[in-house]
Amino acid sequence: MSLWAYHYKPKFKLHNRPLIGVLIISLFISTVLLSASGGFVLAQKNSDCIKCHQDPEKCGPKVKIDPVSGEIFITSMLLSDEDVNTFKASGHGGEDFFCIDCHADLEGVEGDHEPNLKPVDCITFCHDDPAADYLDGSHIKAMRDKDKDPLTCKDCHTGEKSRRDTPRAENPVGRHIMIEKCGSCHEPHLNSYRINLHGQLTALGCTGTDIASCPDCHGKHIILNSTDPDSSVGENNIVETCGKCHGGSSPRFAKHIEHPQFKNLEQYKSIFLAFKNINTEPQAIGKLARDPQTYLVLGFVVYMAILGMTFSTFGLHSLLIWFRTILDELMGKGSKKHEE
Amino acid sequence: MKSELYIRFTPLHRFNHFLIIISFFGLVLTGMPLAFKDYAWAHCLYQLMGGYPIAGYIHRICAGLTFLACFLHFAQLSYAVVIKKQLKELLWGPDSVVPQPKDLLDVLGEIIWIIGFGPRPRFERWIWWEKMEYLSLIWGTLVMGLTGFMLWFPANFSAFLPGWAIDLALIVHRYEAILAAVFVFTIHFIHTHLLPEKLPVDEAMFTGRITEEEMLHERPLYYERLQSEGTLGNFKISPPNPMFSFLSKMFAVPLLLIGLFLTGLMVSSLILEFI
Repeated sequence: MSLWAYHYKPKFKLHNRPLIGVLIISLFISTVLLSASGGFVLAQKNSDCIKCHQDPEKCGPKVKIDPVSGEIFITSMLLSDEDVNTFKASGHGGEDFFCIDCHADLEGVEGDHEPNLKPVDCITFCHDDPAADYLDGSHIKAMRDKDKDPLTCKDCHTGEKSRRDTPRAENPVGRHIMIEKCGSCHEPHLNSYRINLHGQLTALGCTGTDIASCPDCHGKHIILNSTDPDSSVGENNIVETCGKCHGGSSPRFAKHIEHPQFKNLEQYKSIFLAFKNINTEPQAIGKLARDPQTYLVLGFVVYMAILGMTFSTFGLHSLLIWFRTILDELMGKGSKKHEE
Repeated sequence: MKSELYIRFTPLHRFNHFLIIISFFGLVLTGMPLAFKDYAWAHCLYQLMGGYPIAGYIHRICAGLTFLACFLHFAQLSYAVVIKKQLKELLWGPDSVVPQPKDLLDVLGEIIWIIGFGPRPRFERWIWWEKMEYLSLIWGTLVMGLTGFMLWFPANFSAFLPGWAIDLALIVHRYEAILAAVFVFTIHFIHTHLLPEKLPVDEAMFTGRITEEEMLHERPLYYERLQSEGTLGNFKISPPNPMFSFLSKMFAVPLLLIGLFLTGLMVSSLILEFI
C-alpha cells in the first residue's frame, strides 16, 4: 500500500475535458440502458470491491509503472481490515461514496478487471471549484515557471499510508502531513516556523485546528506570494488572517514574525556585511535597524552569552567547591571537625 | 554531645520555597518539551503532562503559584520595611542579600581555599553564592513573569508593543527557562544539597533548622555575631518532628533525581544540536 502511495503520481488532464465529457455522456447513456435491461450492474458496491481486494488468492502484488516518472515498482493491492477502516474514516469513506465514483473506468465491470486503471480525476465532476482557485494561484504558476511538475490534488490531500485515504480538513493527521508536505520543498520556512510557538506545538504533535499550520495562514487553494497585497498574509488581509484565531488582532499585532531567522546563518552574514561595508553603504545599517529580525537575533545572542557566562563561571565554581569539600572531608578538615 | 539547633528559615520562607519547588517543577516539566520539540523524550514528557492543551493549563496554574510565592515574599519584605523599619538592614550589612565588599574578599579567599593554600573562608549569614542565587531567582522570576504574560495575552500586549516584541518575548522566555532550569538543577543542587556534607538534601529549607556544628562550619561569623550580640539564645529551637523531617526527604530526593535526569536530557540534546 505504502509503496503505491509514494510513487503513483497522476497528472491533471484538463486538456481532455471535452473528450471526457463525451465519454461521460456515452457512459451515462449506456448505464441507463444497461440498468434498464437487467439492473445487475448497479450492484457494484464497495463491499464487492473490498471482498476481492481482501482475498489473497484473487488479489496480490502487481507491477506498476508510474505515469509521470516511468518508474517501475511492485505494490500490493491487498487490503487489510485496518486499511478498510482507515478508508471508511477518511473524507471519501462515507456511505455515499463508491469505489467506482473515482475509479470511473471500472463502472460496469464485473469480476476481474484490468490491472492498470486510469489515474483518478478529482476535478472534472466533483472538485472543479477549489481546483479553479488553485490553478489561478501564484503557487502553481511559480512551479510551472521553475519547470517543476505542478502538485496534483493527491500530492497534498493524501492519507498517512495511502493516497486513497483523503483526510478531512480538520483531521490532525492530515494537517500534520500537510506541514511536512509544504516543508519538503520549503525547508528553510519549515525550520523557521518550527522555532516559533505555532511550530513548536505542531512539532509536538498538536496539529488540531486551533494551532496555525501552513495553509491556515498562507491559504488553502489560493496560495499567493506574501509580497502580493491580496495574499492572505499580504498587507490587505494579514490582520484578518491572524484574527481567525486571535481575537483583538490589529495591524500592530500582525507585525508578528512567524518565521524568525535567528538560527539562520544567512541573517548573521547580512548583519556582518552591513557592518563591514558601513562606510560604502551606510543605508544598509538603517535597513537592519528597521528590521525586527535584527532584534530577535540580538535577543538570541545576548541570551547565548548569558548562558555561556553563567555556566562557565558558576558551573566551574560548583564543581570546584564539590571536589574541595570531598578533599576536606577526606583530610579531616570538613564538617565533622567541629563535633569534637 | 547533644547539639543545639538554631532557626535559619522562618515558616513563611519554607512555605515559599515549597511553593517555588512545586511550581518550578510544574513549569519546567510542561514547558521544556516545547523548547526540545525535536527529541523523542520531549514528546513523551509532553504526553505524560497531559499534552495540548492540558500541559498549557498546568503551566499557567504553576505560573499562578509562582506569583503567589512572589506576592507572599514581597509582603514579608514590605512588612519588614514598613512595620519593623528594617530597610537599612535589608539593603546593607551582614543580614542583607545585597553583595557586600566582604563577599569580594570571600571570593578571593575561596579561590585560595579551592587550590589548597588556605582554610575554608569564614562566611556570614548569607554566602556570596547564596546571594547570587537569590538575586538571580528574583531576576529570573521577573523576566519569566513578564515574558510569560506577553505570550499569554499577545493581543493585549500588542496594543502598545509591536507584534515582534511577542516573538522576542518567546526567545527570552525560552532561553531564560533553559538557564533557570539548568542552573537550579545543577548549580543550586550542588551548592546546597549535593555537597558531600549535605547529601542527599539540606533539610534546613524544609525543617528551618540548622545544627550548631553546621552553623560553625558553614557560617562561623554569623554564629559569632549573634553570640557577641547576645541574641544567639533567641534563635534556639526544639528538634523538628521526625515524621516531618522524613517526609521532607521523601519529597525532596525524588525531585532532585528528576531534576538531574532532566538536566541530563536537556544538556545532551543541546550538545547534539551544536554537533
